[in-house]
Amino acid sequence: MKISPPKNWRLKKELYTITLGKCQECGNVFYPYQPICPSCGSSRVERIVSKGHGKLLAYTISYQARDGFEKVMPMPIGLIELDEGVKILAPLTDAENIKEGDEVEAVLRRITADSNNGLIQYGIKFRVIENAKPNR
Amino acid sequence: MVAVAEVSLIKVDRYYEYSEKDLVIEAYKQLETKVKERIKPDVVIVSSGYIESIGKSNLSAVKFSNSLGFKGVKAFRVENGDNGGAAIYTAYSLLKSGLASSVLLIGIDKFSDLNSKQVNDYTAANLLYDYEYHLGLTVHSHAAILAKLYMKKYNVPYEYFANWAIKMHEYAVENPNAYLRFKADLKTIVSSQLIAEPLRLFDIAARADGASIVLLTEDSLAKKYTDTPVTLDGIAGATSDYSYDLTLPAIRLAMKELNYKIDDKTVIELHDSYSIIAALELEELGLGERGKSLEQLDSFQVNYSGGLKARGYVGGATALYQLSEVAMQLRGDFKGKRAVGEKGIVVSTDDLVNSSFIISLTR
Repeated sequence: MKISPPKNWRLKKELYTITLGKCQECGNVFYPYQPICPSCGSSRVERIVSKGHGKLLAYTISYQARDGFEKVMPMPIGLIELDEGVKILAPLTDAENIKEGDEVEAVLRRITADSNNGLIQYGIKFRVIENAKPNR
Repeated sequence: MVAVAEVSLIKVDRYYEYSEKDLVIEAYKQLETKVKERIKPDVVIVSSGYIESIGKSNLSAVKFSNSLGFKGVKAFRVENGDNGGAAIYTAYSLLKSGLASSVLLIGIDKFSDLNSKQVNDYTAANLLYDYEYHLGLTVHSHAAILAKLYMKKYNVPYEYFANWAIKMHEYAVENPNAYLRFKADLKTIVSSQLIAEPLRLFDIAARADGASIVLLTEDSLAKKYTDTPVTLDGIAGATSDYSYDLTLPAIRLAMKELNYKIDDKTVIELHDSYSIIAALELEELGLGERGKSLEQLDSFQVNYSGGLKARGYVGGATALYQLSEVAMQLRGDFKGKRAVGEKGIVVSTDDLVNSSFIISLTR
């Protein structure tokens, strides 16, 4: 697993925050942000930062690793619907008692490390909000 | 009109002792024995998803052309992830436009040089967004989520998906060029290795090595090479983003463009990268009720090759295997389970069906 510092730096808003795009013409909200709406093609796109709060629609436990991710296997992965209406697939963390419908929040976590030079990759995972009140 | 003049394919397998070039040469030697005249293509197109990443080889079309004695020819590779239908579309376009009279399509991929976790890293490059790759996600995990959503929406147990593997292995037993030529029963499937829950080993396409070559020509030129050409009537394609509503817009749009009616006499080869994807493709094509398609597999002539599940999965070469198999079915010389009818389609997609090419053929 080789980590590219320039690429990570370039992707910092995508990897370290959930920066969404909101189309001023069609209203589409999407992730990750880009300056053209992938739904209607408009370039009138506002950049907004998600609150990082959402609902777990479905999840899987992945048992087959990718190169560089052996130490985090098995990896729970969830389909999350953010409060802003966007659905994204992301790793889950602190996931001992997860179930569909759980409220989740985004947290910054270590993702992997480059075995050649020790560089650490960080990124967003989601964890279940314990004792969350319904319809919060 | 465009004709499938001749086809060749080698048995899908793990060829530890052979390189990509060795496999292509083997497929080409087979092709040469079938044609009446020495092949002199105007253009050589390579369809490969991973020869650059796994095989560490660029300019593969130039290298293969030189190796096969086609110096001076126009040659290039079409990369479209696992969807080799893009290469067929390119060849078809060149022939229809008159820019070429004959195109040699070479499908090649070789997974067995690396282990599963290494291959997973390369296939994860097909995920649509950079952040997914960086977070360690896999294509398998996407498919697993789709399977979970499907089970919930249609209230089906995991065992429902086993219907696909059972049927594909049944067909593969009859296909001498299939990779996994053994029957699989329910007990074996439900107790096989978990890959991404609920998906098990038997829900996932069997990655292996292979090469398939197809000679496409102008209609008038085909008879020079063969007495039994198959007509490539049309090809349509479409793209889409991830869809979590259990529909496949890329297939729906392509079928609309192709304006094609499938019936029980249509020979079909579709891209069953996962049992869940097989179900969704069948349902989008109208080959089964939503939520029940994998219980209705005897209603249509689907994947008599054994499919990606059991014939085996060869990355970007898969579409050329599919094209060869449907052409052979229509000509009557397919060596496995025989279909009836005079028309067929190839449904070529990437593993999560964000890209499709659907190709219609007639005898």
